[in-house]
Amino acid sequence: MEEESDCRKINNSFLRDHNYATEADIISTVEFNSTGELLATGDKGGRVVVFQREQESKNQPHRRGEYNVYSTFQSHEPEFDYLKSLEIEEKINKIRWLPQQNAAYFLLSTNDKTVKLWKISERDKRPEGYNLKDEDGRIRDPGTITTLRVPVLRPMDLMVEATPRRVFSNAHTYHINSISVNSDYETFMSTDDLRINLWNLEITNRSFNIVDIKPTNMEELTEVITAAEFHPHQCNTFVYSSSKGSIRLCDMRASALCDNHSKFFEEPEDPSNRSFFSEIISSISDVKFSHSGRYLMTRDYLTVKVWDLNMESKPLETYQVHDYLRSKLCSLYENDCIFDKFECVWNGSDSVIMTGSYNNFFRMFDRNTKRDVTLEASRENSKPRAILKPRKVCVGGKRRKDEISVDSLDFSKKILHTAWHPYENIIAVAATNNLYIFQDKVN
Amino acid sequence: MVAKGQKRKIHGDYEIGGSVWASQLQSVLDISMDKFHHDQALVEPSLLRSVLINNTLRQVQFEVESLSVVGNPKSQTYTELQLESDFSRGSPLMGHNTHTDEDFMAWSSEDEFSLSSAISAILKDLDAVIEIGGPGPCVSQRAPLGSIENVTRDGKFTQSGLRTERTSDIISSSSKIDTMYPSGLQDVALDKLLLDIDTTVFEPEVNFLQGFSVTADELVKCLPSMSKSSSLDSPSSSICHGQATWEIHEIEHVMDILMRTCPQS
Repeated sequence: MEEESDCRKINNSFLRDHNYATEADIISTVEFNSTGELLATGDKGGRVVVFQREQESKNQPHRRGEYNVYSTFQSHEPEFDYLKSLEIEEKINKIRWLPQQNAAYFLLSTNDKTVKLWKISERDKRPEGYNLKDEDGRIRDPGTITTLRVPVLRPMDLMVEATPRRVFSNAHTYHINSISVNSDYETFMSTDDLRINLWNLEITNRSFNIVDIKPTNMEELTEVITAAEFHPHQCNTFVYSSSKGSIRLCDMRASALCDNHSKFFEEPEDPSNRSFFSEIISSISDVKFSHSGRYLMTRDYLTVKVWDLNMESKPLETYQVHDYLRSKLCSLYENDCIFDKFECVWNGSDSVIMTGSYNNFFRMFDRNTKRDVTLEASRENSKPRAILKPRKVCVGGKRRKDEISVDSLDFSKKILHTAWHPYENIIAVAATNNLYIFQDKVN
Repeated sequence: MVAKGQKRKIHGDYEIGGSVWASQLQSVLDISMDKFHHDQALVEPSLLRSVLINNTLRQVQFEVESLSVVGNPKSQTYTELQLESDFSRGSPLMGHNTHTDEDFMAWSSEDEFSLSSAISAILKDLDAVIEIGGPGPCVSQRAPLGSIENVTRDGKFTQSGLRTERTSDIISSSSKIDTMYPSGLQDVALDKLLLDIDTTVFEPEVNFLQGFSVTADELVKCLPSMSKSSSLDSPSSSICHGQATWEIHEIEHVMDILMRTCPQS
């Protein structure tokens, strides 16, 4: 009996074997909730894992609020579209948390076609003393009941359960690449390659199309939508980015269909840098509003740009993520790395921005001091609780010790997804199938 | 990490029409075509990826076109490189070591033609893929809803997705070639395009296209085949339900000729 209970414990706890990486374990999205208490990851196998920060205790001050697994559930399953004979991948493309309004937590998760609203709630009490059924659930014969009792709630082991509350489906012909919750907390939008749909969180059988860039003749298609996001404070404003490197800001008050933008952000092309790959590397892979709502950040293949919403002609700041790859674009085109979609994030105060690169490197740029740092998310090169050592890529000439040359970079180890705690300096970095959580140094 | 064993110089030496540029043009074209064919084999290629590869191919085509327009020496460099790489790949090309001006222009235009017709064929197939979002250019597998994707100018839906889609594709590709090449190569271009197509399906249209530049007798021969086609109601200029606009104008043109050459019945 004791062995049985041990087995049950092992089966319920969360195990990942780090020695071999199955493709289903590849993390495809990372997101903190609005308080930073929870961190959700989605993977290629359609699973969502939610981590919770443990309460800081005075007994162990060095373990400053670490994240432990809180809940695991299968969000999406692989589906088959019989009309087109296509398999719909279960990979979670994006997770977005809803702001917390009661004891339960809500998040939206999406694959290529369907968005789901999940409720994550705790149960630490259970009712005991039913009249009509036994403790083990068997129905009692009503003839044997002679007294009545009131069921009471008794404490039990904490159980976290995730239940799907809404399923928003059948609204997208093309693959969903983004979801964004509106600041009105009533609506959200889902974006695919050619269309953006607006949903009410309560209504699943209807959505409104607000942007449609599909040309009448598909032969004329030259541009697709790559990402979209609502303004953090203005519930009528949103932006979407395109594969041609432009960002359009739209106001939903202007018209029902927001095909005409209110603002158009695009940087004129630098003729000295023109190549066959200029268009591909200008394709924007991620767009994020700053927490203040005043700035916009975009990520294309080689740079991160910060835009002022009041200036459409050019970005306010441009940061080179890995400019040493500019001379290797042809090879990167050949091995498909040029199509990698990197994300970018702001810190809580909008003073630092972070994005990923290859070889498990990720970069942080301080907007005020203009300093930048390259760090590595790798177990081989750093021990737990050790301070990360800044890394450097040497472009040519003599390679110093500790530097790594461009040709030695491992392009299969890419950091596409990162997240930053909304208030503190805690970051989550997804490196293929591993999740790294880094914190500021404790004094 | 270099492409095809060619060492690329830094941007300072990277001038348009130079050998470095030409070799990269070749590399980009080869890689793009490889990717395109690979994506065709996939059940559902990513739309973003398809659009980016498509645009890159268009850019390559544009560069090639601007090359032929600009001047000979650069074209010569390019075509010599093309020759070398083709030889190395074992393609059956005749050697053209010395060029007269005429031979040169014929060769380079034919070379561009093969390049451009390949690109046009790719773009045409790619558009069919984008259209369906499903299996590649096998139009027979096209989903029934796919015909609703394209709406003709008069606002009516296409009658039969299968036939009219391919027709409009042929027409758009051939019109692209029309604008680019002297008429002597036009028939060659059309023939080469049509080689890939199951002509039994398009018998009326194919006859129609070939009959465009011939005598009235052959036009009369074409008449029965045109009347066989369910889309033509009367030999007037009535717009046929679902036919592409180009074809409508051609029908009118042929009708005008017929009216002039044949007595009214």
